[in-house]
Amino acid sequence: MEKTSDGKFIVPIGAQHPALKEPGHFEFAVEGEIVVGASVRLGYVHRGIEKGCENRNWIQAMYLTERVCGICSHIHATAFALATEKLAGVEVPARAQAIRVLISELERIHSHMLWLGVAAHEGGFDTLFMYSWRDRETVMDLLEAVTGNRVNYSANVIGGVKFDISPEQKETILKGIEFLEERSQHYMEVVTTDETFTGRTRGIGTMPYDDAIRLGAAGPTLRASGVARDVRTDSPYAGYKLFPVNIITDTAGDLDARFIVRIKELFESYRLVREILDNLPEGELSIRVPRRIPAGEAIQRVEAPRGELFYFVQSEGGENPSRVKIRTPSLLNWASITNFAPGHKLADMPMILAGIDPCFSCNDRMITVRDVRTGQVSNLEDLKIR
Amino acid sequence: METTQMLESIEKVLKPFAQSFNRPSAERLDAVVKAEDLKAAVKAMVDAKWLYLSTITGLDIPAPADQPDAEGHIEALYHFCEGEAIATLRVSVPYSHPVFPSVCEFMPSATLGERELMEMFGVVVENTPSNERLVLPEDWPQGVYPLRKSFTGLNKG
Amino acid sequence: MALQMDTPWIRAMNKIKTWARINSPWLVHFNSGSCNGCDIEILATLTPRFDIERFGIKLQGSPRHADVLICTGPVTRQARDRLKRVYEQMPEPKFVVAVGSCGISGGVFQGCYNIEGGIDEVIPVDVFVPGCPPRPEAIIYGVVQLLNKLKGPAELPAK
Repeated sequence: MEKTSDGKFIVPIGAQHPALKEPGHFEFAVEGEIVVGASVRLGYVHRGIEKGCENRNWIQAMYLTERVCGICSHIHATAFALATEKLAGVEVPARAQAIRVLISELERIHSHMLWLGVAAHEGGFDTLFMYSWRDRETVMDLLEAVTGNRVNYSANVIGGVKFDISPEQKETILKGIEFLEERSQHYMEVVTTDETFTGRTRGIGTMPYDDAIRLGAAGPTLRASGVARDVRTDSPYAGYKLFPVNIITDTAGDLDARFIVRIKELFESYRLVREILDNLPEGELSIRVPRRIPAGEAIQRVEAPRGELFYFVQSEGGENPSRVKIRTPSLLNWASITNFAPGHKLADMPMILAGIDPCFSCNDRMITVRDVRTGQVSNLEDLKIR
Repeated sequence: METTQMLESIEKVLKPFAQSFNRPSAERLDAVVKAEDLKAAVKAMVDAKWLYLSTITGLDIPAPADQPDAEGHIEALYHFCEGEAIATLRVSVPYSHPVFPSVCEFMPSATLGERELMEMFGVVVENTPSNERLVLPEDWPQGVYPLRKSFTGLNKG
Repeated sequence: MALQMDTPWIRAMNKIKTWARINSPWLVHFNSGSCNGCDIEILATLTPRFDIERFGIKLQGSPRHADVLICTGPVTRQARDRLKRVYEQMPEPKFVVAVGSCGISGGVFQGCYNIEGGIDEVIPVDVFVPGCPPRPEAIIYGVVQLLNKLKGPAELPAK
């Protein structure tokens, strides 16, 4: 526990495991046990990536965007590649776009399972954490089988993809998906019928439909409040034009709904993966793109596991991008929490935070708690023990 | 409503506030708006039920190298999304008077974008609800704006 | 009474003597600004497939009880002082494992304005585990290398 110069105690929230700390800053103001205010202060993971892209050529910049976040790295690179391809005016082969989507869905699966374990841990459901992370290893294996790496797959090139899917890989993936689907049935049972679980999640952290829109929430968090917004359907990109997605929503808008939506999205991803594998278009894996990208501005929106990811890419006709703007979905969800957290008990905060699936690296966070009556500042860990 | 129709309809809504329009691609509309008309333009968007401000992109446009006496500008792009359509309000202010009005009154989610514009580009957003730094460290020097083209790195001291 | 000289040699011996009393080191983890890729793989070492705990290694929470700091990230400006403080809070003997390319040199972020680049710019590092990210097996290997290195030969080489 460190004390900063202005007397605040700052300790990372005990995220998925007591030992694993993510840096960031999120402050709750409390009166006794009730949260009366919340504010966002990011920065510990700020690496200057947008500026970094301006000092790298297009290919190097893509490798940089992949590492905005280790959990959703493929979707970042895909968005950047798609935007650049728009500027270059090239038509990426259908097979490549389909493979991009296949890997995006595998990434979504791994991300949702990772989140499931984290959120379960926050609620004290460590068995669910261990099971979901064990099961997640299956999808890590599938990603490694196709791309050669468990994390930061680098499947994209500007103009297409690097890897093809062989018939053997297809069989491996299908087997893996079958296993995961069975396991996901089990998770669904837990989150809908286990009373200790629903006791911690039903009616907690409720964000009504209108608020979800007004606060600018994103992804499963938004859809759990009944808002049918999903970039894959609203503005289909890459292979989603060929392989449409069903939007998953829930009406309850509470923490339990956020669990349910993500698990249902797992099933939808399993369906998509099977459909893509059975209907993979023939063709090339990539199209050649010039070193210098024609001048212009391109916008690409994609559906990352956490919600809409927004890329604005500008070229001045050179070998480097002149501006890359990246707006991650977690930023939107942070903002929504500052609005619906007040009124809740402090003890509900860890699970509520987990409920928006904050990507630690897309945006960093740490939690401090300030009692507005006494002015005392402490960290969430202290209060958990109390 | 189909994308083209949506963009045509929002163009009509923005006409009183915009200086010019451009269609960079099939799903995009750019509207150039003066800073003093920005709030009214945002209110018009919200009234027309374009309720999703996806983000605000800042651009630094220094004076061209061959016109050293010209002035640099900061341009902010307010990207509103509805389905596939993206309607962007483009507002430009000169270095000598880099002031935007806050649009949080109509679009509360704009606060994070406004904070980023302030710390990364050195603009002033009047009446913005929060002036706190968003991503730069506390000990980052005042007056140094990383996303300006003139910034090439802090000298390690 | 023999003169207690403070040579590097004596210091190293003392380190090893104390270390030998520790059979199962406690690790504390710190993220100095990484993309989380390495952190997720570190966490994966806890899961049954990789099971770092079978080496007697325990991942726990407080620097004050830790023997080894396992650190990721290119050290952002904001994280730098906190990293130093975490290191200072650890009791001797203490060791540092830097996981990932960012920890070695800043990785892909080299040259970016808000990073120091390389964990050894801020604190001394004993073991670097390269990779972007390294696999859980590589991380475990790195930590075990550290343990072996320190439990090392009892003979003192003549210096």
